This record gives sequence, C-alpha cells and structure tokens, in this order.
Amino acid sequence: MAFIKQHITETVEQCERKQGRDCFSLELQLSDPSPSSRRWAARDLAECPNASAALVEQLQREEDRSVREIILTTLTHLGDEEAVAGLVNCLRSEDASLRNEAIEAMKLLPDEVAPIMGQLLKDADPDVRIFAVNVLESLRHKQVEEWLNEVIEHDAHVNVCATAVDLLGEVGTSYSWEALEKLKARFPDEPYIRFATDLALKRISAS
Amino acid sequence: MKRILIVDDAATMRMYYRSILEGAGYQVDEAVNGIEAMEKSLQEPFDLYIVDVNMPKQDGYSFMSELRGRDLFQAPALMVSTEAAASDRTRAYAAGANLYLVKPIKPDELLTNCRLLLGEVHP
Repeated sequence: MAFIKQHITETVEQCERKQGRDCFSLELQLSDPSPSSRRWAARDLAECPNASAALVEQLQREEDRSVREIILTTLTHLGDEEAVAGLVNCLRSEDASLRNEAIEAMKLLPDEVAPIMGQLLKDADPDVRIFAVNVLESLRHKQVEEWLNEVIEHDAHVNVCATAVDLLGEVGTSYSWEALEKLKARFPDEPYIRFATDLALKRISAS
Repeated sequence: MKRILIVDDAATMRMYYRSILEGAGYQVDEAVNGIEAMEKSLQEPFDLYIVDVNMPKQDGYSFMSELRGRDLFQAPALMVSTEAAASDRTRAYAAGANLYLVKPIKPDELLTNCRLLLGEVHP
C-alpha cells in the first residue's frame, strides 16, 4: 500500500515538473498553488540569471518552509545584487525562521555580502545589526575581525556588542585585545559583557 | 536536584547561564538549537527550559510550539531574546513560554525568575 502511495506522489510530482521550463514559465509557477510545483520552479530557476527579483518576491510571501529553503538555495547560487538585497530585507522580517534562514544563506555569500556589511552594521535597527553580526559568524572573509572590533568599539547598544564579543571569543586574535579592554570599560555594569570579554581575552592569550 | 536545559546557539551565552545556575545548585544541560533540545527532552525530561529566540535550524518559537504540542512536556519555559517589542513577547507566550526576558540578563534576574518558575519562591 505504501508503495502505491509513493508511486502516485512521484507521478504527480513529475507532472508538476513537466510544465513549461523556460524562465518566464518558471517564474509564473512560483505562485502555483502546489508547493511541489513551486519547489521545482524555485530549483530550476537557478539556471535563469535574471530570476532573483521573482524569487525574492515569492520568498516574502512563501509559507511552505521547504519551498523557502529551495528559494534561498537558488538565491545563494545566483548571488547577484538583487538576491543579496532580498536576503538583507529578510533580516527585517517578523518571521524568526525566515530571518534565520536568510542569515544562513548570507553566510555562504562572503564576496557579495562584504560590500554591504559596513552599512548593515550601522543600520538604525539594533536587531538588524545583531543579525549582521550573526552573518559574520561563518562568513569566511578577511575583514571579519576588523568589523567586529568596529562594533565593540563604537556600537552603543549592549546586545549588539554582546553578540560581537561572543564571536570574537571564537575568531579574535591579539589584534582585538585593546578593543575588548575598551568594551569592558564602556559597559562596567553589564555582567554578561564582563563575562564574555574576559573569556575572549583568556582565549586570545592562550592561543 | 532540579534539571535545567539551556537552548541557545551562542556558546558563550550557554557558559554564562551555566556558571550562574550551577553556582546556585542546579543541574544544567545544553542544546544548540530546538532540534537538539527536543532530542534531549525525549531522553529525559527537564524541570525548566531557558530558550533563546534566534537560533539556526529551529528557532525558539518553533521549538516551544513543538514542545507544548507534546503532552509530556509541560515544564515551565523562560524565553530570552534581544528583541523587546510587545509583538515578540506576544509570540513567545502564544508559543507556550511562561516568561519572556530581554537580554542582557543579570545573574540575579536570571536566578530570581528561574526560582519563580520552578515554584521555589512565590511572587
């Protein structure tokens, strides 16, 4: 019985993929009522260099998590200016899952995200600045430590600094020593800042 | 000894909570996201959960909803976040949190609220 069910599902999914595969048809299929059809469309749009705008638009309204994951993968693959702008926009979403999925996708785009990182770290919204620091977590880019030092030396928001110092505990070197000492002095009454800074300094001195 | 599960992707934050809670005599375990937290909960129940909102793989809201969806897990839960908006609090309570605190959390604040949720002190 299970086999029959699986067979039917596969047949339906194949049919849904047999619709037009040209870029225009695929963009239309992004709003198909069937999640399977939207998934296939999002996947196949990876071959369409101008698809980012349609994908970003769908991402904002897509409720099916599996479709969202494919859209993010395709946006990461396309990696153009529009794709990055769409991902950045997700950082402002009320939807925690979408925000976290966008952060994970942005981590895979170091060269594309780097030019806007300075701007993101100075965003008026402290939550966006925190998410930008989250992106730095596994962003393999040579400027990561410099960006983090900039945050802990100048950002006025304690939670933005706390997120940055967490990361400096992992990636910081002796280059960050002075900035970490200054951070402790800036927030003398915050036990978490003291705890995280001391831990980062201990790790740096041991390395 | 009461068992507390800390669910947070930030290692330093987990260490901070652990140092405070163990210092107060609690047994502490850790999970880096909601998926790992659920796996640990299925192995052995906890008396209290401390859950961060923003985590990769499964965020705090989804974890809380899933936890409350299982009748076995009605232990109190304290959700923590950097977000202070009323809508964030509402979402946390709707997901099943008993209390929502905004970071940074001072040691006294953490311990007082944990004791309150564990029924060790009364408001």
